[in-house]
Amino acid sequence: MTDVLTAGTVATIDANEAVASVAYRLSEVIAIYPITPASPMAEHADEWAVTDRPNLWGSVPDVIEMQSEGGAAGAVHGALQAGALTTTFTASQGLLLMIPNLFKIAGELNAFCLHVAARSVATHALSIFGDHSDVMAARGTGFAMLASGSPQEASDLAAVAHAATLRSRVPFLHFFDGFRTSHEIQKISTLDDAVLAALVDDADIAAHRARSLSPDRPVVRGTAQNPDTFFQAREAANPFHDACPAVVEATMERFAELTGRHYRLFDYVGHAEAERVIVMMGSGAECAHEAVEHLAAQGERVGLVKVRLYRPFSMERLVDALPPTVRSVAVLDRTKEPGSTGDPLLLDVTAALVDALGRGTLAALPRIVGGRYGLSSKEFSPPMVKAVLDELTGDVPRSRFTVGITDDVTHLSLPLDDDFTTEPDSVHRAVFFGLGSDGTVSSNKASIKIIGEHTPQSCQGYFVYDSKKSGAVTVSHLRFGPEPIRSTYEIRSAGFVAVHDPGLLDRLDVLERAAPGATVLLNLAAAPDEVWDRLPRRVQETLVAKGCRLFAIDADAVADRYGLGRRINTIMQTCFFALTAVLPVDVAIDEIKASVVSTWGRRGPEIVRRNVEAIDAALAELHEITVPAAASAPPSTRLTVPDDAPDFVQRVTRLMLDGHGDRLPVSAFPPDGTWPTGTSRFEKRAIASEIPIWEPDLCVQCNRCSMICPHTAIITKVFEPEHQDGAPASFRSQPETYTHELEGLAYTVQVAPDDCTGCGLCVEVCPAKDRTRPKRKAINLQPADEHRDRERTAFEFLRQIPDVPRTRIPRGSRTLALLPATFEFSGACAGCGETPYIRALTQLFGDHLVIANATGCSSIYGANLPTTPYTTGADGRGPAWSNSLFEDNAEFGFGLRLGLDATARRARSLLDDLAPHLPAALVAELGEPCGHDDEQLTRRRQVVAELRDHCSRMTEPGAVALADLADAFTNRSVWAIGGDGWAYDIGYGGLDHVLASNRDVNVLVLDTEVYSNTGGQQSKATPLGAVAKFASAGKETRKKDLGLLAMSYGHVYVASVAMQARNRHTLQALLEAESYPGPSLVIAHSPCIAHGYDLVHAPAQQARAIASGAWPLYRYDPRRVAAGEPPLVVDADPVSLPMREYMEQEARFRMVEMRDPDRFTTLVRAAEHAVRDRHALYEQLAQIRLPEQEAHDG
Amino acid sequence: MAELATTWLGLELTSPFVIGASPLADDLDGLRALVDAGAGAVVLHSVFEEQILAEQLAVHHFVDSRIDTDAEARSFLPESATFPVGADPTLAHLERVRAAVDLPVVASLNGVTPGGWTDIATRMEAAGADAIELNLYDLVTGFDETAADIEDRQHDVVSAVVAAVDLPVTVKLSPFYTALPAFVRRLEQAGAAGVAVFNRFYQPDVDPDTLDVDRHLHLSTPAELPLRLHALALLHGRVGLSLAATGGVHSGRDAAKAVLCGATAVQVVSALLVGGAPQLTRMRADLVEWLDEMGYRSVDEARGAMALDNVADPHAWERVNYTRLIQGWRPRSTGT
Repeated sequence: MTDVLTAGTVATIDANEAVASVAYRLSEVIAIYPITPASPMAEHADEWAVTDRPNLWGSVPDVIEMQSEGGAAGAVHGALQAGALTTTFTASQGLLLMIPNLFKIAGELNAFCLHVAARSVATHALSIFGDHSDVMAARGTGFAMLASGSPQEASDLAAVAHAATLRSRVPFLHFFDGFRTSHEIQKISTLDDAVLAALVDDADIAAHRARSLSPDRPVVRGTAQNPDTFFQAREAANPFHDACPAVVEATMERFAELTGRHYRLFDYVGHAEAERVIVMMGSGAECAHEAVEHLAAQGERVGLVKVRLYRPFSMERLVDALPPTVRSVAVLDRTKEPGSTGDPLLLDVTAALVDALGRGTLAALPRIVGGRYGLSSKEFSPPMVKAVLDELTGDVPRSRFTVGITDDVTHLSLPLDDDFTTEPDSVHRAVFFGLGSDGTVSSNKASIKIIGEHTPQSCQGYFVYDSKKSGAVTVSHLRFGPEPIRSTYEIRSAGFVAVHDPGLLDRLDVLERAAPGATVLLNLAAAPDEVWDRLPRRVQETLVAKGCRLFAIDADAVADRYGLGRRINTIMQTCFFALTAVLPVDVAIDEIKASVVSTWGRRGPEIVRRNVEAIDAALAELHEITVPAAASAPPSTRLTVPDDAPDFVQRVTRLMLDGHGDRLPVSAFPPDGTWPTGTSRFEKRAIASEIPIWEPDLCVQCNRCSMICPHTAIITKVFEPEHQDGAPASFRSQPETYTHELEGLAYTVQVAPDDCTGCGLCVEVCPAKDRTRPKRKAINLQPADEHRDRERTAFEFLRQIPDVPRTRIPRGSRTLALLPATFEFSGACAGCGETPYIRALTQLFGDHLVIANATGCSSIYGANLPTTPYTTGADGRGPAWSNSLFEDNAEFGFGLRLGLDATARRARSLLDDLAPHLPAALVAELGEPCGHDDEQLTRRRQVVAELRDHCSRMTEPGAVALADLADAFTNRSVWAIGGDGWAYDIGYGGLDHVLASNRDVNVLVLDTEVYSNTGGQQSKATPLGAVAKFASAGKETRKKDLGLLAMSYGHVYVASVAMQARNRHTLQALLEAESYPGPSLVIAHSPCIAHGYDLVHAPAQQARAIASGAWPLYRYDPRRVAAGEPPLVVDADPVSLPMREYMEQEARFRMVEMRDPDRFTTLVRAAEHAVRDRHALYEQLAQIRLPEQEAHDG
Repeated sequence: MAELATTWLGLELTSPFVIGASPLADDLDGLRALVDAGAGAVVLHSVFEEQILAEQLAVHHFVDSRIDTDAEARSFLPESATFPVGADPTLAHLERVRAAVDLPVVASLNGVTPGGWTDIATRMEAAGADAIELNLYDLVTGFDETAADIEDRQHDVVSAVVAAVDLPVTVKLSPFYTALPAFVRRLEQAGAAGVAVFNRFYQPDVDPDTLDVDRHLHLSTPAELPLRLHALALLHGRVGLSLAATGGVHSGRDAAKAVLCGATAVQVVSALLVGGAPQLTRMRADLVEWLDEMGYRSVDEARGAMALDNVADPHAWERVNYTRLIQGWRPRSTGT
């Protein structure tokens, strides 16, 4: 990592790191909560604190992770009131959760700087990407708001913000665009300590401390004021806000003296006598800067005002910044306020100019129009800037417009000239397509740093990830050139295109971005003379048409030779430098090796040695391939989605899968965020290099393979034998022999070959071995290339075989896997330990399941487009799913329950009203509870159908309404699902409240013991001894016992389960939880990549977790009290494995041992104590007999 | 009372009992108890080459390959600059042991390839080791290497480590050399200061129920001692190396046998894993009692009395003995 903390003047880093460096050095307390895309700022701060790096005053800041952003803001407020220099980092919903405190912090004039990687606020959907909807929601708080548009600006203005808040006492919200700036790597001038020290005034700090709460000079803050005083007191702070712009200006001037970099409150670029001017802020202004300069150089009278200080908004300085020649102004907002007269910046600019006109400081009011762009990191590129400026040339420009999309509904969007480019030829542009796991992004980050630090060139790296957690595609955009790079948009015309994964040649139009004559580098497992024939026709045609030079290397073979697995990144990196000659090849290779040493040297010499050998071997394997005069491959027959896919999938999903979602017009979308289920089946990613193949002769029909599959890519099914008539040869089955209730049916195990990730869990758990050759199991991984076509045919055949009635399949731990799942082919990580629980829920209750899903991994693999894994059974029923927020999920699920109950009450009321007109037996039956098993549910659906039938023939008032609501007479199984971050931390208050109610809400906590989705930050579920971000030395406190807290209510069903090792127990708990008429909590042990081991061993490791006592198994069922039994049953055997033997298997624990063996031993002992204590408590609780009435007191 | 103090690898030992490479020295309190019970030296838990390589590669695969793969998560575990993968924990432990106890501390290195191992040996020296025990552990499964190739490589490893450190280097051998004496001589020429016979290397069992390979390690038994005695008797006095017995010494009498055959040090592990410090106290007392009863004034005096060169019937250690035993052996059950 580049050391920007110590006086380096040039570094190639992203804005998150640059800003964190400034904030860290200028702070004493850093209270944070992880949220994309701001998490890296907090993580950098944590890493620096762990390694005892000092701040500007020689002390190490206290970096504290809180339970939510609301908690972080509260801690910040307190720290400020105690006189500490304090900062935090956040985005999006996190910022929204801070808002109550922001009002307080500003109202009390606390000097404080908050850094925001600006991100979309969730509306019709969640988005992790960048726009200004979050910061605009905070513009009423009284915070000053300072906007940066690039990593350099973010670094500089972060320092300005910290200095200005101390001087002005107005707290600052410094923001920059999430991902586009926060994650963009640029070569920047960093701020050394001397600059920061010169910028920040010690007297201001002393004044800040003097205002702190102290019993030595006590005051009271936070009084309650009444109508007589509140208003005046609120106005009393006006002078501070009024003075703030001048303070910022002065600070910017001082900054310029120190660094030579000049900023103003509003910076103008463009023609000195511009007539058409854009006003905007953030990273889009960089792109606009590039385009405006380009146009102005051609004589166009156009300009750009970049807003730096958005609050307090200096009306005077805005007018100063505008050239007097301006005739029309387009104000661009990266946010949307439906129903407003205009988006926020437009309103501010309009008000400022109208005010200036009124005061006479502006001679004439220009035409002011407002446009919206770039929501959720939508590309904002020079053609869009030109489109805006072109619009201003018209006599009657649209007063409100959008740019960057096609709006065919309200027709707000501007037309684009896609051929307009502004990038100079001197800029080298390279695009790399890779897989997340092959290290492409990491090596490109290393490359851009090598170029940045070893050439005088400017450079930029931007990285795009897809939405999957397994087999994810990454696209890296690298630019370097002699001039500053302001191109804050993806590369559209690259002189170098590398495709690191050959599978992408077929899936994506990888050469779309190749410039004419581009150098194309492919990683392909083929001899040089076979490369051309292996290319899809589309690729061949583009290579020919664009006159590309083609190079190929079998990088996987090289990586394999040196024991690097699929890590081909350093090999491809070497080829990149060899082909682009940005540096002399030998210098570049030395630098790649140096970066290998600095990045992985700590792992040990072997990793370095193997990489170095692979680097040295790379160029000998790199071959130029002659591009023939014409394409020779047959036309591709591959369809993105099959012809028989539903209309929506054909119209919308297909384009998204092809990477062309940007082309979809507004009319393609449901206006309220509703999306069809069951579309993951159309996304045939085929990412596994090996897939499991069934060997019927060995199979014992245990179904473990399908039960453990994280992606529902192994299907075990029973069916009527006659349905295999006409089966393709590849489809195999055998008589079902294990379950006597299923006698006479046929049984099969089938892989979904395009949906399998090749994780190997199915093979790992298969108990059936060939007695003569035990390495052959009943299911074995085989090369996908050899088997995929056959298995596709077999799988397609399986999909059309009718299910046997659900009621025929017993609910045993083996037969659970024979129930059709309505959750399939999610984008979860290979080996995910969460998804099998969700699939089991859908197998048990899928046709009457309503899911409230907390934000996190399960909401991302559950509904991150382009496709959705929740699907329907043959009867069209399936889970109804919704994600509200992260923090409110228990309440959201509770609300779903309330709403469903209200509907049911209304239905019953109508039934009562109409009872005289309906058969008495029908009314009586509907008056009874529906029951929980399939037979009862099936029967109830029949009765409901009868009711509808009666209603349809009735003329009484209410009959139509009763028919509409009749489904409410069937069970609705409501489940709130989420991770431990939600249940233990941010959502605990709500979860606690929902459990305390006595409503029938079921809660499934997928406990990975860490914040998985945002990258491994500790939660209160993190066990003692585990390393996590913000617990780098190993967590010292015990895991919160969520189950025990829930048990304390007495009326809550609680279970702790571990499905991979104890499937039967999990099934029992889920069934009991669902049937329990009150609140239920099931806490599910979920192996996760954040634990740091090969998840193929997760079943064994989960068994160790149970055997060591690290993971308890129990069921607390209040119903048992009525039977005179203790409500708690402990289901795990006594502890039989030393804790150390469990802990040393996972990197999260082992890291402590590597760093500090004594601490590890201490933590192991403490963990053993914790387990013993808990076990003893549970054992005693399991003996307790409660008075019977308590079960009913609830 | 007979004197137990002796000199092994040039190190002054208060007794010939050496705590063998094992988890016994992992716990400082436990180690102190063993020292108090009369241990003469301690060999620390081995640094295993394969284990370190495997762990480095595993971390590279399961931690490093999770970096920069996802828009939301830069990585999934803390930035690991502070978490080296390698010998560091062992070396840190060596430093702690060195500081905690006042007796020779031998660091154990278990590897098969020359190269990076000299680096670790140097670091062991810097961390305060008094000697290095090099465990030549080779599980040969391929067809492309001959015995000579392997012995050459092992010789090179020993030479490299000897050259890298100023400490005595003792080599822990496996029992399966075709020509043990010649190879030991080569080691002596390579600069080794001693050999320990024999390591109890990985002997996987099979589980007939699960058709799995059973990887459990089992404790040694006194039945394993005669193999060691034989080797000691062959080597004593014929090479200028400090000899150590390791494997199968469970009692004071076992120790006496090893000394009689030429061992300067007797390494003990399994007996202490079961019996702890009290067992060492007993073994030490029993050895002293035996020396006294036999009239030896010191353990040094008894050493090698039964070695090939000193024993009345040297053929008893040679092949003829073997054939006699074979011929004299009768099945306990004749079957039906």
